[in-house]
Order: sequence, then C-alpha cells, then structure tokens
Amino acid sequence: MEQVIEYFKQSSTTVQALGVTAGGLIGVFATLGVFFLVIWVSDKVGRKGAE
Amino acid sequence: MQDVFIGFTSVTWQNLVMYLVGFALIWLAIKKEYEPMLLLPIGFGAILVNLPLSIAGIPAAGASVTEPGFLSVLFEMGIRTELFPLLIFVAVGAMIDFGPLFKNPFMIFFGAAAQFGIFATMIAATLLGFDLKAAASIGIIGAADGPTSIFVSSIFAPQLLGPISVAAYSYMSLVPLIQPPVIKLLTTKHERRIHMVYHESSCPKWLKVMFPIAVTMISGFVAPISVPLIGSLMFGNLIRESGVLERLSKAAQNELANIVTLLLGITIGSSMTAAAFLTLDTLMIMGLGLVAFIFDTAGGVLFAKLVNLFLPKARKINPMIGACGISAFPMSGRIVQKMANDEEKGNIILMHAIGSNVSGQLGSVIAGGMVLALVPLLVG
Repeated sequence: MEQVIEYFKQSSTTVQALGVTAGGLIGVFATLGVFFLVIWVSDKVGRKGAE
Repeated sequence: MQDVFIGFTSVTWQNLVMYLVGFALIWLAIKKEYEPMLLLPIGFGAILVNLPLSIAGIPAAGASVTEPGFLSVLFEMGIRTELFPLLIFVAVGAMIDFGPLFKNPFMIFFGAAAQFGIFATMIAATLLGFDLKAAASIGIIGAADGPTSIFVSSIFAPQLLGPISVAAYSYMSLVPLIQPPVIKLLTTKHERRIHMVYHESSCPKWLKVMFPIAVTMISGFVAPISVPLIGSLMFGNLIRESGVLERLSKAAQNELANIVTLLLGITIGSSMTAAAFLTLDTLMIMGLGLVAFIFDTAGGVLFAKLVNLFLPKARKINPMIGACGISAFPMSGRIVQKMANDEEKGNIILMHAIGSNVSGQLGSVIAGGMVLALVPLLVG
C-alpha cells in the first residue's frame, strides 16, 4: 500500500486524480455494500423473528 | 467634500459586475424559485460584501473601521470551523426517511454509482490546471449536496467556496432540466418502459434506530475523517427515528434548518468578493459543475444497464432509477417517475426511485468522506 501511495505522490496531478477516483469509487461501493449487508441481514433476522 | 462621496468614487467596475451577479441570483430565487432559501441570501451577501469600503466583510483598505464585519465573524465561526454545514446535516438527517431504502436495499448501489460525476469532474478539473485539492472541491459539486460541497471546499479550497456553492445550488435546482436529456440519450424507449414490481413490507423499528448508529460506526472505521459529516447526518436521523425525541426532531427539521440556512447563505455570499469571484476559475467551475451533474446521471443509468445484463427478464431494472442515485432529494425521484409515466401511463416506479434517491444522500456523504481521506494521502 505504501508503494502505491508513493507512486501516486510522484505522479502528475491528473494521475493522482485517477488514483483518488479508483480509491474513492471502490470505497463508496464497499461502504455502501456493507450498509446493504446490514439492511439485508437485519431484514432476514427480522423476518425469522416474526415467524 | 470628497469624503462625502467616497462611497460613489470608490466603486469599481468589478463591484458593478458583482451587483449584477447578486441581482441575478436574487432574480433566480424569486422569479424562477431556484433554491430560493440559498440563492437569495447568497445573492444579497454578494451585494453586501461588494459595497465600496464595505465593513460587512473584511474591512477594505482605507475603510474607517478596522474590525472584521459581521459577515467575517460569521464566516470564521460558521464556515472556517465547518460548523454551519454540519448543523445543516443534523437537520437533513432529521428529515430523511430511509424506509424506502430498507424495503429495497439493492437500490443503495445506485447511490454509489451516481457519484461517478464527482470523480470524472475532478479528473477534468486537473486537466484544466487546478491542483488536486481544488479539483476535488470542484468535483464534489457532483455530490449534488450543498453542505457536502461546502464542507469539502472549506477544508481543501476555501478560496473557491463562493463559486463552488453557487454552482452546487444552481445545478441542484436545475436537475429537472439536466437529467431528462441525459437519461433519454442513454436509454431506449423500451428500457424506459420497464415496469418494476414493488413489494410493500413493514420495516422493524429497531432497524430504523440501529441503522444510523451502524452507519456512523462503519463510516468511522472506513474513513475516520468522514465522521463529522456522516455523524451529524446520522445523529439527526437517530433523533427522528428514536420516536422519543419528537420535539427535538421537529426543531432540527424546522428551526435549526431555517436558522442555519439563513446564516449559511449570506455567509457564503460574503465570500464572493469581486477579486475572488470574477476570475476565469469561476467560469470553469460553473462549466465543470454541469459536467459533474451530467456524469452523475450517466454513471447511475449506465450502472443500472450493467446490472440488467445479469438479471432475468422478469426482474430487469428500469435504468432511469440509476439517475436517482444523486443526492437531489426528492426532486430526482419525482422527475424519473414523471418520465416513466410519460413513457407509459400507469408505470409506477416512484418507490424504487425514492429508495435510490435516499441512497444518493448516503452515497454523496460517503464520497465526500472518501475524497477527504484520500486526497491528503497524496498531496499532504
């Protein structure tokens, strides 16, 4: 990870923006993905409890 | 005698242009009703701060008073400390009902896909010569979320706060004009006519209460710097969903939202001095803001089309739903529902659209947090 960050630090601003784009999109999808799991699991548990 | 007319003799052509900008914003607010709660105070603030030798903002050279004016005090207190956008988030959180999202949790991914405009615009801004922090602040216009734009730009590029805020709020009010042509360009008539089945189900109260807490903690672990943003939003939502703080919930939705909005608008206007606003950067920011909203819409629609490749025919998603993944709530959801109904009378996709739209509010804040976390890693 350190090496990747170091690579981007040495790169042009646009390449840095590409790096932030990749990291940002992965981060947003992953975080919202975890929220999805929280809702999905809660729903399943809730339904089971109701039964 | 000259001192008597010093106000008139000190006016520059730049001041005159800024009065026109102020009048234009007030006109848009009153006549067109484009985000009047923000654009009117911003427009008036822009006039106020550009009055010659104005003592409302930072005193101009030659002014008789040297103490910072009330707008400077508000700026230092509310924007520099990031307090105003965070208080707005408490209010917004108290207004959000995540119910439609809980009933159709997959919609949450459209809230991620429609943040694409943020990143595409950031790349475009670097190509136009902005440094990474300024480019990230400009890209955040694509969050379609005023407080997030203000929060990020007040940290990364406070000198661009005025044009970024004006662009963010202007384009948010123009969503009904921006989104439909982009959606139509990227979808076929057949796709826009796709029906989506909606299953009404009740959502347990404990989930509504636990969700803001879980979201805050998870966001805090993933991107600690996003905690003020997401924490304020979710605190407001927890007050709403707890069911025992109705008075506070209503106060957050009404009194707090109104007072902070009032102060926020005029304070942002105060950052629009002629020297800071009348630049080529402002023109580029206005253009890039439009790019951000177009790419947001495109990102959401194209993601929906991608998902459809893997779904059976009976469960296809109307790709217009993807466009609602932006944070402009509930405007975007309503537009998409109207488009679906225009294509085929009786095609109701409103609940899916609102679910996607609510996700956009979460996605924009998370994207803001990601940008805040990642950019300093590369440029310190």
